[in-house]
Amino acid sequence: MALIERLQNRPDATYWPGKIPMTYIYTAGRAGEAFFKKLRDSGKFIGARCEDCDLTYFPPRIFCECCFNRIEGNWVNVKNRGVVHTLTICHETYDDKPKETPSIVAFIRFEDTDGGMFHRLGDVDYEDCYIGMPVEAVLKPKTQRKGGILDIKHFRPL
Amino acid sequence: MDKKVAIVGIGTTGFRATTPDVSYRELTYEAATKAYLDAGIEPQEVGAFVATSEDFLEGYSISDEYSPDQLGAVLKSIHTVPGDFIQGLGNGVMLIMSGYADIVVVQGMSKASNMVTKGDLLTFAADPFAWRPLQESPHAIAAMEMNRFLYESGNTIEQCAQVVVKNRRNALLNPRAALGAALELEDVLNADPVAEPLCRLDIAQHADGAVVCVLASQEKVGSLKGNPIWVRDVSWATETNALDSRTWGEAVYMQLAAEKAYRMAGIRTPAKEIDFAELNDEYSYKELQHIEALGLCAWGESGKLSEIGWSERTGEFPVNTAGGCLGCGHLFELDGGQKVLDAVLQLRGQAGELQLKTANTAVAAGWRGVPTTTGAVVVLGN
Ligand SMILES: [Zn+2]
Repeated sequence: MALIERLQNRPDATYWPGKIPMTYIYTAGRAGEAFFKKLRDSGKFIGARCEDCDLTYFPPRIFCECCFNRIEGNWVNVKNRGVVHTLTICHETYDDKPKETPSIVAFIRFEDTDGGMFHRLGDVDYEDCYIGMPVEAVLKPKTQRKGGILDIKHFRPL
Repeated sequence: MDKKVAIVGIGTTGFRATTPDVSYRELTYEAATKAYLDAGIEPQEVGAFVATSEDFLEGYSISDEYSPDQLGAVLKSIHTVPGDFIQGLGNGVMLIMSGYADIVVVQGMSKASNMVTKGDLLTFAADPFAWRPLQESPHAIAAMEMNRFLYESGNTIEQCAQVVVKNRRNALLNPRAALGAALELEDVLNADPVAEPLCRLDIAQHADGAVVCVLASQEKVGSLKGNPIWVRDVSWATETNALDSRTWGEAVYMQLAAEKAYRMAGIRTPAKEIDFAELNDEYSYKELQHIEALGLCAWGESGKLSEIGWSERTGEFPVNTAGGCLGCGHLFELDGGQKVLDAVLQLRGQAGELQLKTANTAVAAGWRGVPTTTGAVVVLGN
């Protein structure tokens, strides 16, 4: 037996609104602490090296996802230079509303690493951006840095 | 694995943009009722049930506890798979192969219209350090994938638009589809940009619906009525959710899932041994990327083939014969359920106006959507 009768009038459809009022904190972890403290305090980047796999994780991690070795402390300095691996210009906010100013977002592969970062591009028009474009991070002044991804204002062409 | 587990019944509500007249549980109830009728069984005969759901999609915490009643599964074995329907199907197959049950029911449901703030849902799926603070649209991640895929494979934006035209037209003939439309290439190419190169019509719109599937062991199939469709194999794989180490150009997760499924099903040349595919096309480029990942053509060839009608219902290798996500709707974790449903109907010769001339072996493939890198693949045969 399936449904024998169905609702005929839309105003008769009853519903209750509901919200999920939950709040979380996420701890950065050992690699995250090391990475964000370095960025906040000295404006520099670090990665983590797995010699066995010849991989440099950026941002750093305490374990290698390939061989599962512990690589905590194998920090290496990473230059503030990368290339645009892929990009888009986004015309909508995350909740599907039109943006007043579209944002250019990109995945930036950092030099001499196997990782990279998802961030915005600035000081440039989308038409002038391309895959392979060399870029560098523009940091906020030290006094405004809080130890997070938004300590980087955006990336700009080199 | 061959002729060990069969799909002996399948039921669906069909797919609609909104379903204000029923609750999410009644959606499943309707699909379950039809599936049991189709299989000629009563729920009392079912040994175990597998539901697929996600708490945030359903709007409940511990939502798996809400799944037995509408399936007739009270006081029975049931577990929930927080993944694609095809992953749930894989769990059902294992329950039968291990001898735990002879008849297993697999359920999937989307009540997307209950979710008022879908953007928040996907933002909450983003990594809280590297991604979420930027508050960018999840479509930006898909757009970046698309750009890199086109860059590496040589496929084009026009070829992606061709996928939209095909799938929305196929859906016109599908009475279960929410989004059938006769579009021209220019309609797609001129639609408003969302995250370039993705425009509005490249993105599947959400839909509600449910699919319930009855599986039976080879021994049990003989005593049931109907038309068994054999699960030749099922597999799934996940790459990584980390934006810094994932692959941007290729759907590696789907390639791995497919290779394993083909190996266990004894399929060596998928394009020759398989007649058609129902695969995830939640974004237009995903159809091309997944065709290539499933090994149905060479890397970089899917766009050109789509242009010459290869993947049309009348073409050499039909893809998404009933409209896919673009034509039926984006169903979240029910994605693979819609794909399995349309593959089963084709293999049974019950696809109506959509029926293919040759439909003996099919591949169905689901993707869990942005920001996941999880794909699930099942090979089915009649
Ligand atoms: Zn390693």
